[in-house]
Amino acid sequence: MANEMEKLYAERLGRYQATIALESTDRMPVASGSNYFAEIYSGNTNQETIYDPEKWLQAEKTFIRDFPEVDVLRDNRVWAPLYDAVALKTYRLPGRELLPTNQVQFVEAEYMLANEYDLLIANPEQFILERFIPRVLGAAAHNGSPAANMAFLKGGMAHVMMSQIMRNRSQTLEQACGMPQPMTGAFLAPFDALSDAMRGLKGVLLDIYRQPDNVLAACDVLVDEMVSFALSTADPLRRYPIFVPTHKPTFLSPKQFDKFYWPSFKKTLQIIIDAGYKVRAYLEGDWGAHWHHLLELPKGTILCDIDVQGDIFKAKEAIGHHQCLAGGMPDSLLILGNAQEVRERVKLLCNTVGQGGGFIINGGCNIPYNTKPENYRAMLDAIVEFGVYDLSIKPVPRPAPPQLLNPQDLKKVVTPWESKLAELGGVLGDESLIRRPWELLENLGHTWIWQWIM
Amino acid sequence: MSELSAISDALVELEEDKVKELVQQELAKGTDPLSIVLECNAGMARIGKLFEDNEYFLSELIMSGEIMKDVMALLEPLLVKNDDTSAPSQGTVVIGTVKDDLHDIGKNIVITMLKGTGFNVVDLGVDVAAETFVQSLQETGAKALGLSTLLNFTFPQIKLIIQALEKSGLREQVKVIIGGAPCNEDVRDFVGADYYAKDAAAGVRLCKEIYA
Repeated sequence: MANEMEKLYAERLGRYQATIALESTDRMPVASGSNYFAEIYSGNTNQETIYDPEKWLQAEKTFIRDFPEVDVLRDNRVWAPLYDAVALKTYRLPGRELLPTNQVQFVEAEYMLANEYDLLIANPEQFILERFIPRVLGAAAHNGSPAANMAFLKGGMAHVMMSQIMRNRSQTLEQACGMPQPMTGAFLAPFDALSDAMRGLKGVLLDIYRQPDNVLAACDVLVDEMVSFALSTADPLRRYPIFVPTHKPTFLSPKQFDKFYWPSFKKTLQIIIDAGYKVRAYLEGDWGAHWHHLLELPKGTILCDIDVQGDIFKAKEAIGHHQCLAGGMPDSLLILGNAQEVRERVKLLCNTVGQGGGFIINGGCNIPYNTKPENYRAMLDAIVEFGVYDLSIKPVPRPAPPQLLNPQDLKKVVTPWESKLAELGGVLGDESLIRRPWELLENLGHTWIWQWIM
Repeated sequence: MSELSAISDALVELEEDKVKELVQQELAKGTDPLSIVLECNAGMARIGKLFEDNEYFLSELIMSGEIMKDVMALLEPLLVKNDDTSAPSQGTVVIGTVKDDLHDIGKNIVITMLKGTGFNVVDLGVDVAAETFVQSLQETGAKALGLSTLLNFTFPQIKLIIQALEKSGLREQVKVIIGGAPCNEDVRDFVGADYYAKDAAAGVRLCKEIYA
């Protein structure tokens, strides 16, 4: 059994990795990133997914049993008690203020003011700790209050617990089900980091007109923070790509994208690639005016999910020879269509954009919650039938990508060891024994304070 | 009139400070506030056209909406004082994001463009229940209803709203437009709406047709 799962895991991972790298494999992988359908297929509510890890795992096991053709299944959802511990304001949660069957929803507000760019640019960590966190975490509204102290304490512990939950899931899925992850770890494009939870869309668009230089400087400053966050949350074994959802490009003109969004995003992506990772990017909305930029990054490094508003055929023509693409299945077809229509759509995709590999059939950056089970079944059957490349190839995991940079050097801290050492006035024993755990905890803390912009 | 058209030119160029400066100048000269509003609306209509032609993107719509909001904050009190109610309305549109969905960016862009084109808009906000839409349509007698959504699990909700219109006897006199990222003709067919608007400009065009 264990051996069989190892074999299955290796085969699935190899198929997924080869596809991302635009290399030959046996068949098109079934490799959605956000498979919402998998979470509730066996009857769970959305509340159970984010509040009850054991029930969620059971749901995924049932899903894998019924859909063994699936090659990856994700584990990187939030464990909601973390949000409750700190009273995070940016999300409405199923079972809390939404019906248990509703989905997690992000609600934008201005948690950074228009006149605070100088502070953010001069010292991002100080800005996050002193200005942003008291506003975005309801429990930390008053620095130093008992409620705030408890929020930091419980929030820190909840974060570690969540990491353990996700690690256990990942291992269980690997060992008991032979199932790899579609991605591990996450970050945002600097412009999205600035505009999602800090300035909001309206705020940042006004800033583009009123204080463009500050927007550019802030995006530059956020590059290192996002790199650190990505590498600190990534798979240490570098098997899986790191996840980046992109939110604002669909609102931007090509000129605005080229000036405000792309330069800092490209820099962030390039550093992450140089640190030996690949990236799975959700190109949300319509990226048609922007996606040609993905040609500027090394071939086969970015798996691009094309949303339903994007044209998958145009995307293939523009960048499909250089980066792997996912998409092509309209969400509304999975929800409202029938099995025959799904089958025909898969056949069309396999015979066109799927030719030659480097392609994954997916909905618009996800498989919708209310996908009809018979449609999902039809999609898998058709992929296995029409998505075959070369069955003589036995997929095996690829070696991890080359590293030009050491990820450890790119992980940030709030208080560097040098400052601490100076404060101590030197140490009498082995410095490295003190330094390494100091930096490890500092980096965990750094990741903790930045997670609230996600 | 040439000075007035400078206002709409500046609005189209999104020159925030210049628009405000010109409006102040006109007011100081004693220009009728209503004619300034109409001039701004003409600018908004040009922006809508640029958006339709892919010259402008959503950010320009949002920015122009912000400038308009500030201008109207300045002019609206003056319009009341003149006892000159306001610009003649093209008609009333009731709009909201459907129940269980909290997203409002798309809806707000449509509202900006509708107002800029001279429509009277009743914005019911987000997470709006079917009965609230029905009540608002009864109160306003609006002939156009805009339903917005970003989440594809709300399709059944949209259908319920349209069924509620049927039950209340309003269906015949109201045209229903759906819009938002997950919508398309298949969704329109499923929920039983009259129209699917691909973007904000299409929504405005449909409202004009409904009130033509």
